[in-house]
Amino acid sequence: MYSVETFNLTKFYSNGIKAVDKINLQINEGEIYGLLGPNGAGKTTTIKMLTTALKPTEGTAKVAGFDIIKESMMVRRNVGIVPQDLTADEDLTGIENLLMVSRFYNVPYGRAKESIDRLVKLVDLKDAINKPVGQYSGGMRRRLELIMGLVHNPKVLFLDEPTLGLDVQTRSLMWEYIRNIQQLQNITIILTSHYLEEVDALSNRLSIINKGKIVVTGTPEELKKSIGGDIVMLTFKYGKEALQAADILKSYKASRITELTIKIKSSDFSKDSQIILSILKQSNLEPIRIQVEKPSLDTVFLEYVGRSLPEEEGDSDSRKMMLMMRRLRR
Amino acid sequence: MSGLIPLTMREIKKWYRNPIFFVVGLLQPLFWIALFGSAFDITRAVPQYSFYILQGAPDYITFIIGGIATTTALFTGMFAGMNIIWDRRLGPLSRFLASPIRRSSIVMSKVLGATVRIMVQVLILFVAALLLPSGLILPKGFNIIDVFIIALTVLLIGILFASLFSAIAIRITRQETIMGIVNLVNLPLMFASYALFPKNLMAPWIGDIAQYNPVSWSAVIIRTLVINGKLSGAQWSTVLNNLIYLISTTILVVLITIILAEKEIRN
Ligand SMILES: Nc1ncnc2c1ncn2[C@@H]1O[C@H](COP(=O)(O)OP(=O)(O)OP(=O)(O)O)[C@@H](O)[C@H]1O
Ligand SMILES: [Mg+2]
Repeated sequence: MYSVETFNLTKFYSNGIKAVDKINLQINEGEIYGLLGPNGAGKTTTIKMLTTALKPTEGTAKVAGFDIIKESMMVRRNVGIVPQDLTADEDLTGIENLLMVSRFYNVPYGRAKESIDRLVKLVDLKDAINKPVGQYSGGMRRRLELIMGLVHNPKVLFLDEPTLGLDVQTRSLMWEYIRNIQQLQNITIILTSHYLEEVDALSNRLSIINKGKIVVTGTPEELKKSIGGDIVMLTFKYGKEALQAADILKSYKASRITELTIKIKSSDFSKDSQIILSILKQSNLEPIRIQVEKPSLDTVFLEYVGRSLPEEEGDSDSRKMMLMMRRLRR
Repeated sequence: MSGLIPLTMREIKKWYRNPIFFVVGLLQPLFWIALFGSAFDITRAVPQYSFYILQGAPDYITFIIGGIATTTALFTGMFAGMNIIWDRRLGPLSRFLASPIRRSSIVMSKVLGATVRIMVQVLILFVAALLLPSGLILPKGFNIIDVFIIALTVLLIGILFASLFSAIAIRITRQETIMGIVNLVNLPLMFASYALFPKNLMAPWIGDIAQYNPVSWSAVIIRTLVINGKLSGAQWSTVLNNLIYLISTTILVVLITIILAEKEIRN
């Protein structure tokens, strides 16, 4: 049985926007599953439907074994959510927020206290837990939000952009917390993000969604492979050597990128390198430098979302996204 | 399953922890007494008729305290609606909506929170009025049953107004909208009622309208009890009639609020 399975899940907003369009997902128990997509792709809308905050226009889904339409109360009891927006009450302390939420799930006080203690330790919030949330820093608030979704030991946890607006260090700390949570609780985690590194670092499978549709699904490695493998740069001592090598390695899609350097594609350079080098050796060619660039999700994303972008106004959001992606790479 | 208790506790905590809300909430009834109780004393011009105008009350504060208690409920009830909009704005509402609790308990916790505030405010109002030199003078036969009925009346009118403003807030996303509605509704409710003036001093058409106003029902119940203490048969029937109007209207408004909350509340 899947932990989350959707059946043509669809949401049209009243303004006519097709936010989610016939999505079919199958997420296994214990997975960290990434939903990757640009702004406005429909990630939050999907999560809202799966957590019963929003009714689908068409289709349905099963979450933790329960139908999101017919058994919404049971779904809510068995899932935890960390929404995109902050939800803690700023006038209450961290611990008061956590205890309040655990009462929503009828967790007895003793058990709640126990699991809260454990979670607070897990995300290093011990020093701040008795302070009003209004005094927390952005990173502390995100950590609190993370464990607010976990006080009732849910089977499935939804994380909607859990590291939005955090600095690089805090973000990688959050990743560690998320991994620890997954391991300790053996919980299924569905994570949305438009940070590629985040999905790459955390998820064992992912779907890229764009304009409400699933564009591609697979493990990060599969998706990277689907791009056509490693990109290898070979630099030679003389220009004419580079020219010759480019000619010999035509079957590897070789192209000259500078006077002395050629670029080739190899599905897996760690395997192909011996053959390639021996082919070159036969012509007395020996590169002075070899650079292998593993394909990143970045390349995958550009391949599936970026290049198909028509230059329309309606897509300004996705274009902003790509710009941001580039900024991130630098 | 309900979530009503933890959410109501949250409301009350937020109230007493916020020094400004707390102090303002406590000062408000005292201002009402100072302003309406002494500055507006309608018998000052014609002291010889005062017994007639005040329906037998020994002084104006005794006459008007039921009206002030009711108006306090009217104005504090509005916070129930305001707090729903705050929760939507600041985020907690989305957490509540994702939790396995009844949606009506989200709204009813605001109603109960505001009602607790109202009860505390009215208690302070009565204590202050009793301590004031020419303040509230209770009659000889005043007894525990009177106290109980007054408390019940304040509870009902508090729930009624808090529900009313919560129901309005269920679909509203902007603070300004509810402020506008409150301003539009509160003054007519307050002045087209027997809260501040007896019926025989009002223009006949307002006097007629006022009998359908819950503010009048609550004010008249408290006034009758506070002035007379031990009630005659006719006074009992006035109190009971008004109490029945109040109870049935409150139940109706609460039911509508619950149904609206279950169906309509969203982020
Ligand atoms: N309440 C709403 N009413 C109408 N349209 C909406 C509403 N919420 C979202 N949309 C639209 O639906 C589409 C999908 O939005 P959604 O919030 O699901 O995207 P997202 O992938 O979460 O984006 P982001 O990365 O910016 O959070 C967008 O075009 C958005 O403008
Ligand atoms: Mg989103």
